[in-house]
Amino acid sequence: MAIEAQAPPPSATGPAVWLRKHFFATWYDTVFSLVFAVLIYLALKAFIGWAFVDAIWRVENKDLCTHDAGACWAVIESRGRLILFGLYPYEEQWRSTLACLAVIITIALSCLPSFWSIRRLPILWIAGFATFVLLMRGGFAGLELVTSEQWGGLSLTIFIFSAVFVIGMPLAVLFALARRSSLPVIAKSFGFFIDIVRSLPLLALLFAAAVVVPLLVPDWLQGNKLMRVVIAFAIFFAAYQAEIIRAGLQSISQGQEEAVAALGMPYWSLVIDILLPQAFRNTLPSTINQAVITFKETSIVTIIGFFEVMASGNAAIGSGEWGNQYVEVYVFLALIYFVFVFGLSRYGAWLETRMRLGHA
Amino acid sequence: MKTKLTNLLTAGAIAFGSATAVHAQDQGLLDTIIERDSLLCTGHNGSYLGFAEVDGAGEWQGFDIEFCKALATAILGSPDKLQIIPLSWAQRFPAIQSGDIDVIIKVTGWTMTRDTELGLQYSRPYFIGPFYVMSKTELGATGIADLEGGVFCVNAGTTVERVLTDYMETNGIDYEPLAFEKGEELRAAFYAGRCDAIAGFGPFLSATRVNADNPDDFEILGDVLALEPEGIVVKQGEDDLLDVVNWMVSALLMAEENGVTQANVDEMKANPPTASVGRLLGSTPGVGTRLGLSDDWAYNVIKTVGNYGEIYERTVGEGSRYKLPRGLNNLWSNGGLLYPLVLD
Repeated sequence: MAIEAQAPPPSATGPAVWLRKHFFATWYDTVFSLVFAVLIYLALKAFIGWAFVDAIWRVENKDLCTHDAGACWAVIESRGRLILFGLYPYEEQWRSTLACLAVIITIALSCLPSFWSIRRLPILWIAGFATFVLLMRGGFAGLELVTSEQWGGLSLTIFIFSAVFVIGMPLAVLFALARRSSLPVIAKSFGFFIDIVRSLPLLALLFAAAVVVPLLVPDWLQGNKLMRVVIAFAIFFAAYQAEIIRAGLQSISQGQEEAVAALGMPYWSLVIDILLPQAFRNTLPSTINQAVITFKETSIVTIIGFFEVMASGNAAIGSGEWGNQYVEVYVFLALIYFVFVFGLSRYGAWLETRMRLGHA
Repeated sequence: MKTKLTNLLTAGAIAFGSATAVHAQDQGLLDTIIERDSLLCTGHNGSYLGFAEVDGAGEWQGFDIEFCKALATAILGSPDKLQIIPLSWAQRFPAIQSGDIDVIIKVTGWTMTRDTELGLQYSRPYFIGPFYVMSKTELGATGIADLEGGVFCVNAGTTVERVLTDYMETNGIDYEPLAFEKGEELRAAFYAGRCDAIAGFGPFLSATRVNADNPDDFEILGDVLALEPEGIVVKQGEDDLLDVVNWMVSALLMAEENGVTQANVDEMKANPPTASVGRLLGSTPGVGTRLGLSDDWAYNVIKTVGNYGEIYERTVGEGSRYKLPRGLNNLWSNGGLLYPLVLD
């Protein structure tokens, strides 16, 4: 039975066709489209009315902020610096701004492929962190000394996140390789360690680092509280990230390792040139995922008395004057988190495309 | 272990009539503070309305913070020598044991467990924490009993929840409890009319009231659900520091009782109206040396933060947004529970 020749499908284009195809193809498509269009319209209208049209922007008009009025953005004008800088001394907040910028620039630069070398990245990060700590801490060249207890706000959040990521990532590689070691003692003990850390709540780990360590360890070994907390957080991150990297390593066929062995390449070359690039590429989505989770988890440090941006936000509404404006402050905080996390995930998507191209 | 050893040594030393020898061996926290020239006091990881808040410039203020300032001034002569360490509620007891802070001034109730098992020592109460009920004015209730059968909103899992249950059971009042996780949710529900009444700590209720669109719609009832005496906490065995804390609180109360204020303290010091005011302000020497401080410490404290009443009015009372009545935190002579110790 021969197949009869058929006319080619109509090649209509244009917005009307696109609309019909995607939203009004069948009668139930039409119903869903209309219902959701109405819902989206109502939600947007309510939000824009609240956030912009009826909003009160200036502190002078604070008296107009009632429960029926729109958003009271006056709270951000009045308490914004507290949210962004926490307890950092008011006169010195320009330092916190610069320090925060230094770390953001460091993050941005290390996202550029031209900085991806075993020599450039460490130098970049050491310079970035040194600038941050020197600016924040001060105590030289006429800058007032500000101890880490007073650090806070957005710069602290970004510092904790980047320090955890930068310390945690090499640790994670180490843990992952150790767990796959051919020596059973190393493989078993690192496996045990990773499982222990993963089965502890982050909160308990940080609390122990902040509060319990000083009771057990002699003074000279304690370091400061922020340092202990960052290290504990980094170990926690590394335990999770190690499992992600291990998954990446296991996805590489055994044949490659055998080929490397047959060629007589050294172990470090196998790891750096063959295994890690592929492992990272294969696990990029999970790695970005872990980074995003870590960024958001930094708000846990508030429980041990650090004034990161979330805690500063809580302090901002924790006064009799602004106690009712919590929605505005939480929206503002959400926006800050959104900017960073969305940026991070877009970067991840860009990286994936780029690596796929390189792979092809 | 160490405290037991110290106690044992002290006991032994007293038996031999040479208590000073022990002090020389084991430096007390008071001496450490003087040597460090700064006092480490508790802040908050966020804020606690009226007691520890952060203003727009990142400066701490509130009732507890004023007492931190007063203590720093008493020991070191200046409120600038104070370092506020932000801490969560859960952190305060481990932090004082590890030496991260010198004293806890953080609305900390005096309970037996804390006093005995946690190795802490309490000062005399510096604040009597009252739990009240606030209801809608339109209900016309004059006491909690009038709200029988009503919906009472509370923060979930807090002392308030337990205190309310106890009170209602004891007095045989039927009610419908409704718990909320966060203070914001609780307030929003109350404003929206989901609750007939809310129970809570005095300053929280006052803040909820003054932040309403029309504060007169709500009224804090006079019935006290329960009291929590709040003390200043030091590590067990820091007797010298505790002495200073107790006498600092007492000096603030004594100043109020005798009408010594921030404004007139210089005049009072120059011409003490009574012999005891003279002793308090150091016009007659002795108030300092016995505590290991300078003789004008109480003068400095009052000059810096004012007397007890002034601190109260400025932070939680009429002069603040909270307008919390003095109530039980008044001097005994004005119907309250507070009194100064005898300064002889």
